[in-house]
Amino acid sequence: MRQEEGLWHRLDLVARSISPFFVTLLLVLVSLLPLRIADLSPIVPALALIGVFFWSVHRPDLMPIWAVFLIGFVQDLLTGAVLGPGIVGLLVAHALVVWQLRFFLAASFAVIWVAFMLVAAASLSVTWLLTCIALMAYVEPAPLFFQYLVTLAFYPCLAWAFLRGQRLFHR
Amino acid sequence: MNKPTGSEIRVASPLKAWASRFALLLLVGAAFGLMLIGRTNTFIVEDTRTAVTDMVTPILDAVSQPVDTFSGVIEQAESFTRLSAENQALREQNARLLQWQAVARRLEAENAALRDLSKMVPDPAMNYITARVVGDPGGAFVRTVLINAGDRNGVEKGQAAITGDGLAGRVAEVGQRSARVLLLTDINSRVPVIVGPARDRAVLAGDNSNMPELLYLGPTAKVQPGDYVTTSGHGGVFPPGLPIGVVSAVSEKGIRVDPFVDWAHMEVLRIVDYEMTGILDFEAQVGAARAAATAAAETTPAAAVEVAPAAAAEARP
Repeated sequence: MRQEEGLWHRLDLVARSISPFFVTLLLVLVSLLPLRIADLSPIVPALALIGVFFWSVHRPDLMPIWAVFLIGFVQDLLTGAVLGPGIVGLLVAHALVVWQLRFFLAASFAVIWVAFMLVAAASLSVTWLLTCIALMAYVEPAPLFFQYLVTLAFYPCLAWAFLRGQRLFHR
Repeated sequence: MNKPTGSEIRVASPLKAWASRFALLLLVGAAFGLMLIGRTNTFIVEDTRTAVTDMVTPILDAVSQPVDTFSGVIEQAESFTRLSAENQALREQNARLLQWQAVARRLEAENAALRDLSKMVPDPAMNYITARVVGDPGGAFVRTVLINAGDRNGVEKGQAAITGDGLAGRVAEVGQRSARVLLLTDINSRVPVIVGPARDRAVLAGDNSNMPELLYLGPTAKVQPGDYVTTSGHGGVFPPGLPIGVVSAVSEKGIRVDPFVDWAHMEVLRIVDYEMTGILDFEAQVGAARAAATAAAETTPAAAVEVAPAAAAEARP
């Protein structure tokens, strides 16, 4: 009986430790769904960026850098974009958070949101720049700016859901 | 599994910081490596891409159906509110279309008679494959959609994808059960077209905006807003005469085209299987070069470079 409990406990631990990675992969899939809302398609929020940022801040141990790389790899493959710029964008976001982790540990929700504005701006700019270089063409940045704004607006909703999920897990 | 405290981080930091910095450099380097591979060896990237897309498509297919139903319900509710106005508009349109139908019938008969008279070579037959749009990545960098038909349904690279309104794009990648359609508006899209009543040749180039641009128009061409743009059939990729859109703006900065396709409500695409020999030969060449390259790569990497062009030359009729 006790051994069985141990097994369940261990399974539970494994499930918890891989859930950030899989939830973020799921976000990549969700952002692929055709929503069929007029003119929204070019400005869908960068959901994977939100996932990577959130867990890099709150559980950096569960969002290691190789996981960020894999998420970026799958995202770039599935969106059909140039392979690479999206990965570097996510890596930049992760690296910025890890660099200032001590600041994030003490920060309130609003402060983290403001920090997300800066990190997302850096991440999307890097992706944009590298895409332009890879395509050897000037990609109009206006839709990207709207995508940035939509991503900022989506952050609190998703972060709230993630925090609720985390609390349920830790009860 | 509690949050690490400040002191824990301080103790572990010097070693961890080095390791994480190294990992960051390594992975950023790997990403740049992938970018280079994507530019030089498109086969590997394409195969990986189609493999991953094939895995994901059944999931997207299952999930996108309720999304479709939901947006269908919203649309229906919207249309109820303007039913009578729409009815009126449709009646007027119907009357107008009936006139056009008569004109088209007359022209069709005349055309057939003239073709018969001048012994023109008939166009190849067209077959259609209908597929549902299951994925739309969105974003600022690409304009593509995923469809739930692939190699096993007869979809091939280069085929035209159309809706009831007009040309939407062309098939760019094909997996077993999925395919990616590069839309007209994508920055990589180039379609040979014919513009206006004078039938001037041009190339329609996407730039990720909703209005693709007309390029390489001859200096004598006179293009006005409202001119029709259709596929020209040059290059043998698309059948000639597929409607694309109308010229919306002519200015110093360029000529823009407004496509007929309603991008927001593109639920089903028809893939045109146009049996033209030109593109099939090209595919055979690429296939042969690819097989030779992989076979040679297994023996010696240096030989692969020499074998690939030779195989391509052999495949050429």
